[in-house]
Amino acid sequence: MSKPHHDRTHHAKKATNVGDPQCFKGQAGPAKFKAGDTVRIRDLPDFFYTRCQTYTRGMVGTVTLAVYESPAAEDEAWDNTDKPEWFYSVKFRQKDLWPDYPAAFANDTLETEFSERWLEKA
Amino acid sequence: MTNDPAHIDLLEAIRDRGRPWQELAAQYGVKNPDPPWKVTLDATCDILAAESCAAEGRVEDPVLPALERRAEEDDLSSTLYAGVPFPECQLLALAHSLIQRGLFDEQELAKRMEQVHERLTSA
Amino acid sequence: MAKVLDDKKKGHGHGHEGEHPAAPMVEEVSDFEILEMAVRELAIEKGLFSAEDHRRWTEYVHSLGPLPAARLVAKAWLDPEFKKMAVNDGVKASLKVGVDWIKSPPTQFGTPSDYCNLRVLEDTPKLKHVVVCTLCSCYPRPILGQSPEWYRTPAYRRRLVRWPRQVLSEFGLQLPADVEIRVADSNQKTRYMVLPVRPAGTEGWTEDQLAEIVTRDCMIGVAVPKPGVTSNVKLPVHRAIHPIEHHHS
Repeated sequence: MSKPHHDRTHHAKKATNVGDPQCFKGQAGPAKFKAGDTVRIRDLPDFFYTRCQTYTRGMVGTVTLAVYESPAAEDEAWDNTDKPEWFYSVKFRQKDLWPDYPAAFANDTLETEFSERWLEKA
Repeated sequence: MTNDPAHIDLLEAIRDRGRPWQELAAQYGVKNPDPPWKVTLDATCDILAAESCAAEGRVEDPVLPALERRAEEDDLSSTLYAGVPFPECQLLALAHSLIQRGLFDEQELAKRMEQVHERLTSA
Repeated sequence: MAKVLDDKKKGHGHGHEGEHPAAPMVEEVSDFEILEMAVRELAIEKGLFSAEDHRRWTEYVHSLGPLPAARLVAKAWLDPEFKKMAVNDGVKASLKVGVDWIKSPPTQFGTPSDYCNLRVLEDTPKLKHVVVCTLCSCYPRPILGQSPEWYRTPAYRRRLVRWPRQVLSEFGLQLPADVEIRVADSNQKTRYMVLPVRPAGTEGWTEDQLAEIVTRDCMIGVAVPKPGVTSNVKLPVHRAIHPIEHHHS
């Protein structure tokens, strides 16, 4: 996979002694979602690279936390770090994710993170 | 040597004849669960996944990003190097990934292995 | 084709040296040991990294282990204010046990696989967390050390999200049906560790005594702390029969 070769001195300078994702704090603008919101995971087309798990596509969950700001993984892999997004932790009921999840364990959940582009209001 | 890009004879020979740590440790009664080279292997994987500062101050892209390396390691550990214990399979997969990316070739690796072997086993 | 090396020749030994001069050592050089060194030397020769940088990374990786995380848990059990802080800001709490997610790694801005966002997941009697990374086995190394082999296998990664209770029972952990088991899948920059419930029978214990029963497996979430149990259990993980689909690219 050939990648565009951008100047990455910018990232190292910004992040040194600050941390990643800390170095992107304040760059994503207002968060679209907040804790308690019900969201659906969008099934966006993947071009080569994604960190949005297949098992979550189309699923509905609840935002637990706006966790940090960062370029989306799909952009960061291609050095497009100009537009950080808010990342959210989203909780799903296991029985919603898996059709044959035992009914006896109705309380079980799963929590994982998504950048804002992957979420829509449900 | 074959022309099939998926097979690397040198690595398959090591796969077949190399003695993994779990065997060596059992034979010699050594309790350490990991081979002494595990830490240096992990450092190699980390450093290849990091951005590096080239001479002119430009930052270079990672040679082998973690997600790609792990995906290849998973694939190779269930195919060509299936049955090889960990961390030997991680090591074979790393060598495989680097050769496939053209960072060095099989002949260079074989030659370097001979040199290392000489150095380690000479009196 | 390269000659397959005879690995029975004597080489330098490997084992626990220093304390007991008579400790057993591996008296031969394996092909794998040679391969690791050859790959590293070739990489340096090709300019992929410098020997000095590699030494620094080796030192850093070598310094990592589960003790700081165990101490974080013990401190949280003893001090409710610290616990609150740890749950809200895992990176800040890590500093209190000597772990600097940002500045300790050679990059000085975190490592490329660990980043700098630790979240401490607090268990309650009705909520049990367990951690996985389905995509590649990300793990909170700076505070917990290197991940165990089973954590990295596709079998664990694919089965835990799908059949958590089966996988936990294979580790010897069974929980009542009304307890919420929450699987945390670290697919982005956050790294998770579990803060388990403090067990009965530990009243009056010191921080050291408490830390001793908080094993690595407890902080991944596949075990719970018990007085008298100070080591991880070595267990096989079963192969997935119908592994879930996931795409690397």
